[in-house]
Amino acid sequence: MAESGRIPVPLRLCRGCRQFVRLEDSACPFCGADIAAAEAEHAAHVAEMRRAAEALRAALAERGV
Amino acid sequence: MDARRADLPARYAGLDDIVRRVPVSVVWEITLACDLACTHCGSRAGRRRRDELSTSEALDLVEQIAELGARDVGLIGGEAYLRKDWIDIVAAIRAAGMNCDLQTGGRNLTDDRIGRAAAAGLNGIGVSIDGIGPTHDVLRGVPGSYERALDALRRASAHGLVTAVNTQINARSLPELRALMEVVIDAGATNWQLAITTAMGNAADRPDLLLQPWQMLELMPLLAELAVAGRERGLFLQPASNIGYFGPHESAIRNILDPEIHFHGCNAGDTVMGIEADGTIKSCPGLSGSYAGGNVRDMRLREIWETSEPIAFNRRRTVDDLWGYCRTCYYAETCMAGCTWTSHALMGRAGNNPMCHHRALDFEKRGLRERLVQVKGAPGRSFDHGEFEIVVEPMPGAGPARVPDRILVDG
Repeated sequence: MAESGRIPVPLRLCRGCRQFVRLEDSACPFCGADIAAAEAEHAAHVAEMRRAAEALRAALAERGV
Repeated sequence: MDARRADLPARYAGLDDIVRRVPVSVVWEITLACDLACTHCGSRAGRRRRDELSTSEALDLVEQIAELGARDVGLIGGEAYLRKDWIDIVAAIRAAGMNCDLQTGGRNLTDDRIGRAAAAGLNGIGVSIDGIGPTHDVLRGVPGSYERALDALRRASAHGLVTAVNTQINARSLPELRALMEVVIDAGATNWQLAITTAMGNAADRPDLLLQPWQMLELMPLLAELAVAGRERGLFLQPASNIGYFGPHESAIRNILDPEIHFHGCNAGDTVMGIEADGTIKSCPGLSGSYAGGNVRDMRLREIWETSEPIAFNRRRTVDDLWGYCRTCYYAETCMAGCTWTSHALMGRAGNNPMCHHRALDFEKRGLRERLVQVKGAPGRSFDHGEFEIVVEPMPGAGPARVPDRILVDG
């Protein structure tokens, strides 16, 4: 069995400034954002966009477009 | 990093590949013969090596590569099509169940050659284009090579092959990247692989051609802009692992279907393998001879891959091996000083890489920038390098800044 390669140390994306941050950081060292709060806000925004896209699709289908 | 996803390119390595150390992507210089005279050529290609593998040795090597689980074999040179049996090698790679692509300057990639390669199962062709017209011709050392490269790209598309463009980013090509993207899209390419010219081989003799560290401040926002604009028009930017690292544009330039994808450090010797035309095995095609793990004429490929120490540097490297700025960087554990090839070619050893966006931004915040000064030339051999020192100086127009007492840092 071959020896394993170097397992990468993952980072996560700060939704406040789009910089990658360490997993253990709760505040972004670049923009100061609360990383969990910024992530939650982003998720809510994405959900809202999906709902809007869905509504648009339904409206277009209703008109036969 | 997830396990491999079906919608990702064959040469994308997932966590499972790293754990099992599968050489997912093999880059194979099948000959050093070349019909171009590139000013930046790391291998100083031109004449074939004296002892290149025979046809039977090459075909045996294809089987050994397949046994290790490789998924993608990229044929390079020199100019791979100058080897008489290159079509046989393509056919053998495909018969062994692996993807095969050709990376070429395209100068003499005739319709007949492309047709035979396509019939043998070649998946794609990447053509090097480094700038518009005269810029490309000067960098590639042959008048007319720009038009020949574009012709090769169009012919490859006509044969139904996936086409890509490879571009060297340096002092000559940087101002033309935006215009070049239009050329790349017009020529029908769907992938654009970009790499910063590394100070190796011929490029080590041309320090005027190399980007300076502070130019990352211009380059990275530009690449982010091009990545987003290109994606909307069906062109995917593929930054080489010597482009980075982090900063506010990391997600935009490295986003392959997932904004959370980021640079994870050099993957040489873990999921990438380089092969020279004489059967020398390396962990990365660009690295110098000191990183050679062995030769397939002396040992089986699996034995070299699994036991050779010179190609094991990545899995041995720790933060304690880093030095200079990279040693205490916020991203040290993940980045591990980025591209080994780049830092070794510049600084004479790995572990400190000035070609970094995060680093340039950090210096800029303090009103400073780093400048590379060549202090030793290269001896003139294939994959050789000189040596550079880093000068820290005030950023022009930034106002008063405190320059460190010791001007030469990391030198």
